[in-house]
Amino acid sequence: MGSPSVTTDQQARPDGRGLRQSMSDLHTWVGLLLGWVLYAMFLTGTVSYFKDELSQWMRPELPALSGVPDQALVAQRVADELVALVPGSPQWSLRLPDARNNSVYAFWRTAGAAPGQRGFGEGNFDPATGRTVSSRATLGGDFFYRFHFQFHYMPVVWGRWIAGIAAMFMLVAIVSGVITHKKIFVDFFTFRWGKGQRSWLDAHNALSVFGLPFHAMITYTGLVTLMALYMPWGQQAGIKTAEDRRQLNAELSAFIQPGKPSGEKAPLASIEDMVRQAQERWGRDGVGRVTATHPGDAAARVAVARGDGGRVSMSPQYLEFEGTTGKLLAVHEGVGPAAETRGVLYALHLGRFSDSVTRWLYFLVSLAGTAMVGTGLVMWTVKRRQKLPDPARPHIGFHVVERLNIASIAGLSVAMAAFLWANRLLPETLADRANWEIHGFFIVWALTLLHGVLRPAKKAWVEQLWLAAALLALLPVLNAATTQRPLWRSLADGDWVFAGMDLMCWALAALHAVLAVRTLRHQPKTRPARKAVNKPAGAAVLREG
Amino acid sequence: MIHLSSFILCLTGFAALAVAMDRPQHDLFGRALPAPATVALRVGGAASLLGALGLLVAWQGWGLGLVMFSGHTSLGAGVVHGALIARGRRAARSN
Repeated sequence: MGSPSVTTDQQARPDGRGLRQSMSDLHTWVGLLLGWVLYAMFLTGTVSYFKDELSQWMRPELPALSGVPDQALVAQRVADELVALVPGSPQWSLRLPDARNNSVYAFWRTAGAAPGQRGFGEGNFDPATGRTVSSRATLGGDFFYRFHFQFHYMPVVWGRWIAGIAAMFMLVAIVSGVITHKKIFVDFFTFRWGKGQRSWLDAHNALSVFGLPFHAMITYTGLVTLMALYMPWGQQAGIKTAEDRRQLNAELSAFIQPGKPSGEKAPLASIEDMVRQAQERWGRDGVGRVTATHPGDAAARVAVARGDGGRVSMSPQYLEFEGTTGKLLAVHEGVGPAAETRGVLYALHLGRFSDSVTRWLYFLVSLAGTAMVGTGLVMWTVKRRQKLPDPARPHIGFHVVERLNIASIAGLSVAMAAFLWANRLLPETLADRANWEIHGFFIVWALTLLHGVLRPAKKAWVEQLWLAAALLALLPVLNAATTQRPLWRSLADGDWVFAGMDLMCWALAALHAVLAVRTLRHQPKTRPARKAVNKPAGAAVLREG
Repeated sequence: MIHLSSFILCLTGFAALAVAMDRPQHDLFGRALPAPATVALRVGGAASLLGALGLLVAWQGWGLGLVMFSGHTSLGAGVVHGALIARGRRAARSN
C-alpha cells in the first residue's frame, strides 16, 4: 500500500527524512495527543453495539423478552397512555419493542414550555400494559452510547466537536499509519514474542491491519454521522425556506415535524390500523417507530416508520397518515442519492441492521480497534523508556503520558465496571438515581487517576487491572444476590441477555487477570543490557515507525 | 449455518495464505516449501476467501454481504495469527 513510491523516495534521499519518517512522526503525535479520548470513545462505542442488551440488564425488573409482541397492539396501548399522560403535546414519538428491546421508549415535547425550561420528556413503557415501567431509574446502555460521541458534564455540542476533532485525528493516524507500516503484506502474520518494543509494534500492527477496513470505515462514518454539525455551510447555502427545511428533514429522518395546530379538537384514529398497514409492507416485526404531531388536534399527522433491521441504510422509510381519519397520505420509501449515501454510511457506523453473529463480529473487531489505540499509547512509553537518562526520574512529559495511560486504559475498565455495580447497589429510592450511577462512574474514574499518579507506575497498572478483573468477576455474584435472575436461572430459562452478560463479565475478567499477571511478571531489561542489545532494535523500529 | 461456513472458509483461506509465506514455512517445516506448493496455497487461500464472499453476497446481497465478509475476514485472520503465535510459543518451550 503506497510502498513502491515510498521506497523510491527513501532510496533517493538516504540521509534525508523520507516521507515514511514524516508520516511516522505524524502518526506518533496525532495518535498520542487525543489517544486517551480516542481510547474512551472506542471502548464505550464497542460496548454500545450491545446497548439494548445492556439496558435490559440494567432494568432487571422488566421481564425477559419471550418473542416480539404484536407491534400494532403495543403501539395502540402506549399511544392511549401518552394521550392521557401528556395531553396537548405537540409531538410524541415511540420506539416499538423488537427482538432486542423489551420496553417501549417514548419521548415527547411538552406544550408551552417556558424559555429555559426543558421542552422534552421521556419514558419507558411496558409493552404488555402500556403503562410506565416500574424499574429502577437508569440511563442503561444509553450512557455509554451517548458518552461515546458527546461525553458528559459539558454542553452536547462541545462534546460532539471534541469527538469530531478526535475522529479526524484518528483518520489522519490511520492513513499515516498505513504509509508508515511498509510491510503490511510481508509482515501480515508476523509476531516476535518477548522482544519488548518490537513485540508491541507487531501486536499494534496486527490489531490495526486485521481490522483495517473496519477501523477506516468506523472513523470515517463517525464523522459522517455528525457532518451537518462540522460542515454546515453547504446546507446553509442551499436550504433557505421553511419548505426547503421540511424537504430536507423528510430526506434525513422519519420524525415528522409539527406544523401549526388547527385549534379544533379531534381524537386520533386507530394507531393499530396504521401500524397494521406498515406491517403488511415490512413484516410483522418490521416497524420501528410511530411519531404523532398534534395528537388530539384536527391537524394531527402520524408517521409509522420502518425499523433498522436487515437493511444497510438509515434513510427514513415511513407511511404518513392523517391523524384523525387514518387516511394514508404518503408513502416515503426512498430518498435522493446524496441522502442515501449518508444513510448507508450512518447505518454502517451503527450496525443496527446486524443479526446477532454480525453484531458479535462488530463487537470483536471494534474491541481490536480499542486494543490498537491502547497498544499505541503504551508503545509511546515503551519506546521512550529505553532512552530516558534516568528511568527512575523520567521527564514530565513521559510522566504525564504514563500516568494518563494507566487511568485511561486500566482505569476506564474499573470505572465502567463500577457503573454496573452502581446500577445494582444504589437504592431505588435515591433521588436523581440515574445521574448518580453516572456520577459514580466519573468518581471512580477520577480515583483511578489519583491512584495512578500516587503509586509507582507498574504497581498502579497491576493493581488497577486486578481491581477491574475482580469487579467484573464478582458482578455475576452481585447480580445473583440482588436480582431474581442469577446465572443458573437465566441459563435454565434461556434468558440469553442475562446469561450472556454474566459469561461476558467472566471472559473480560479473565482478560484483565491475564494482563495483570503479564504486567506483574514483566521485567524491563537492565540498562547495560539495553545499551548492548536494544539500541539496534530501537533504531530498526525507529526506521519503520 | 452460512455464517459458520463463511467463517470456516475465511479461516482455511488465511491459514493457506499464511503457510504460503516465508516465515511461517520456516517456523512450521524448518524450510521453504517448493514453489508450486506455495503457489497452490496462495491460489487455494484466495479462492477460499472468494468462496466466503460469494456465499455471503448470494445470501444477503452486496450491502450486508460485504459487511459480514469484512467481519469474518478480520476474525479469521486474527484466529490464524493467534494460532501461529501459540504454536511458536509451544515450539519455543519444548526446545
